[in-house]
Amino acid sequence: MTFMYIFYVLPYVAFAIFVVGTIYRILEWAKCAVPLKIPTTAGQQPAFKFVRRTWIDKIDSPSNKFWAFVRMLFEVFLFRSLFRNTKYYVEKAGKNADTRWLWLFAILFHYSLLIIVIRHLRFFTNPTPKFVSLLEYLDGVVGVAIVPPLLMSSVIALVALAFLWGRRIFLAKERCISLPSDHLILGFMAVILVSGMLMRYIVKIDLSYVKMFALSIITFHPPSPDVLNHLHWLFLIHFTFVCITIAYLPFSKVMHFAGVWFSPTRNMPNDNRMRRHVNPWDPNPEVPILARTGIVIDGMVFKTKKLDWDTYYEMYKDQLDEIAEKNYTLKPEL
Amino acid sequence: MSEVPEKLEIKQRFPLWKKWLKPITEKDYKPGFYSYFALPKQVNSDFFKMPFGDVVREPLEKDWKLPENWKEIVLKEMKDTMRKNRGFKLFMDICVRCGACADKCHYYLGTGDPKNMPVLRAETVRTVYRYHFTPFGKIFGEWAGARPLTEDVIKEWYYYLYQCSLCRRCSLFCPYGIDTAEVVWWMRRVLSRIGINQRFMCISIEASSRTGNHLGLYAGGMAGSIEQALEELKDITGFELHTYINKKGADALFVAPSADYFATPHWYVLLGYLLLFNELEEKYGITITWSTYASEGGNFGTFHSYEAAQLLNSKIYKEAERLGVKFIIGGECGHMWRDKHQFINTMNNPPKHEEWRRFWEDPDLGQISAGLKGINLGEFISGEHGWIHILELVAALIEHKKIEIDKSRNDHWRATYHDPCNVARGMGMFEEPRYVLRNVMNHFYEMPEHTIKEKTYCCAAGGGMLADELMELRMRGVMPRMMALRYVVKKFGVNIMLTPCAIDKAQFPHAVEYWKIPVEIGGPMEMVGNALVLTAFGEKPEDRKYDLRGTPIREE
Repeated sequence: MTFMYIFYVLPYVAFAIFVVGTIYRILEWAKCAVPLKIPTTAGQQPAFKFVRRTWIDKIDSPSNKFWAFVRMLFEVFLFRSLFRNTKYYVEKAGKNADTRWLWLFAILFHYSLLIIVIRHLRFFTNPTPKFVSLLEYLDGVVGVAIVPPLLMSSVIALVALAFLWGRRIFLAKERCISLPSDHLILGFMAVILVSGMLMRYIVKIDLSYVKMFALSIITFHPPSPDVLNHLHWLFLIHFTFVCITIAYLPFSKVMHFAGVWFSPTRNMPNDNRMRRHVNPWDPNPEVPILARTGIVIDGMVFKTKKLDWDTYYEMYKDQLDEIAEKNYTLKPEL
Repeated sequence: MSEVPEKLEIKQRFPLWKKWLKPITEKDYKPGFYSYFALPKQVNSDFFKMPFGDVVREPLEKDWKLPENWKEIVLKEMKDTMRKNRGFKLFMDICVRCGACADKCHYYLGTGDPKNMPVLRAETVRTVYRYHFTPFGKIFGEWAGARPLTEDVIKEWYYYLYQCSLCRRCSLFCPYGIDTAEVVWWMRRVLSRIGINQRFMCISIEASSRTGNHLGLYAGGMAGSIEQALEELKDITGFELHTYINKKGADALFVAPSADYFATPHWYVLLGYLLLFNELEEKYGITITWSTYASEGGNFGTFHSYEAAQLLNSKIYKEAERLGVKFIIGGECGHMWRDKHQFINTMNNPPKHEEWRRFWEDPDLGQISAGLKGINLGEFISGEHGWIHILELVAALIEHKKIEIDKSRNDHWRATYHDPCNVARGMGMFEEPRYVLRNVMNHFYEMPEHTIKEKTYCCAAGGGMLADELMELRMRGVMPRMMALRYVVKKFGVNIMLTPCAIDKAQFPHAVEYWKIPVEIGGPMEMVGNALVLTAFGEKPEDRKYDLRGTPIREE
């Protein structure tokens, strides 16, 4: 059954698309210029020493690159901005309240996915590293009553997914802003999670072949037809969707995982007054662009006249001379 | 001014993606929500020449008289914008439409229009980006949330990109820091390349480029206005005060938004500045000069495009150099401080003249006057920038006990403080104004936590939205701020809302009248002016009988 070898080739293709695509996207962002230093300042700015700045201010209004980096870590690993979320109640005379549900389920979802991915290392390693076994053990501590132990990460991921998808389906506002691609990626995740859990708890497929298959991928040794033929159809669904998802990532909004690092409102320090930011496409602005080259559209030049002091003086000579006669001093007229 | 109905209904609508992918057209434009187009005299002027600005256009007409190859221009400019601005490109790519930004936008809260949610406002652009710049968008079309660029899309953009005040409240809550204001700002720039410009902001940009300030005030008019302020101060304080203008060799250049020269309640803030400058000069010999050439702190160019912003803020460093000042003090203004904090020293070369260079080697005010020793600007500013906010300066003067304050002169005011969006989220100045207010008045109350500091609500008139034709949008957009204000008015008997922002001061008087909240609007410097004892002139705390509005301070 040479046909089955498609499943052996699939992960390489998917992974290649993912790596090349991700690098391509990152390079695309990296090569764009950053014209201005525009952090969103969410805390007290660097100021005179007597002005109190808490450590939260230092993170939200970073005074140098180090603190800006700390801010990025908070953003990426703790979802700082989402934690700030509020809900507005129009009907209650504009009452605002903190709402951290989105933050909670988003963080649960992302971290349980991370744990799940790490757990899967046991298929790709022989022997399984200690930390992977330990993680799996801890993951199953709560659900030890059933066999195999119910892994919390899967349950939490599923619940969080249900929440995140549910709000896109049942809440009018979120339904309105959702595009098919938003549902698509959630759908992929659902298929992967559900098929994975079915394999573990309901269908209980033979994992020894799965592990042989996984090792053959990681060691670049094509598996024997025997291994391939013993792969369960549920596993093949699971596996195929994982590959599709991996290949799809670079084209999707999931690229936010890389993009967030480039976000100029977050990764730049609020030190505009300490250090000048140079605009790479306008590094020496002696004369404003509009008066220097003007705007060029299809070879037509739209150039603005420059109001330098001399031009200004010529235009309003009488009035400026009058001010000079007063010795540049204004007093109440009597 | 367009009429705003007595009763506003906020109707929330939630169309599905297929429906909102269809652009609205000029037929869907509602009065009170769309801006007029700039006229040739504004955008085809010698001093502000925009492409295809010589055409008179009318938003409600079907034919917008776009240049023949408008589509190529727009796509080319979008591509160019992505190359020039990583933020723009990134924000096109990484939005996951989680909806955290949706109910953070005051325009969305006030109108219920789904495309006023920051996510969909940016999505009006992203959909086109996907179609023309991504493989999936091209192949799967609307199923990938993509749509081709059409003239109707341009119309939809004009409608929604000009219902954003660039307050960046959404960017605060976005888990990826997506700044819809950045998308809007750079897309307005793209639109300006096919001759689509908003009238309100372009009037001021052109005026500022031609005369030095947004109001189009000539040098004599500005000087006359300040003279009148000095006259008024003579009536209030009994002292003959003075100030400098265009004076070479002054220690500092002072730049305020031009509304301060004329409008009310900005006027009282102007009086406050003048009192402070006189006390400082008399006591410490520090001279502060105004300039007619750099007479505008505000920068409506920051609502329009990078280039327009640069055109307007280029004058100030040049003037600092010409006058030979040591540093620059900035007045009370919101977007001005986004511009002066984050933009000006990137868009321009900072001054390099001798006095400046020498001062910034060790920028302690003790250099200028031994009496001011200890106030060191170098703690957070360098000579690569050189600006200090007047409230930062006042806070330091109070902290170091350099000025005398009589708090009781403000006892007839019970104040709250509104953080201007750009001062909050584009600068991070939260504590200084509060420090000042707590020290110059006895009654100061905060609005609810979710509506102040970094979470502050916009006044709904920034970003070029102060236009009269947008009155209904403005009155709706200001709703969240008004609700917070009403809360403190009821709870603490607040009778004045202070805000260091010229646009706020122009918008809020309308807003509190419309929302029927019995409260005055003012600026922190007005309170400083009230409380400041002119000791150098021999004034005693009890000498002042009237506040800067001319009302008696103490009941007889």
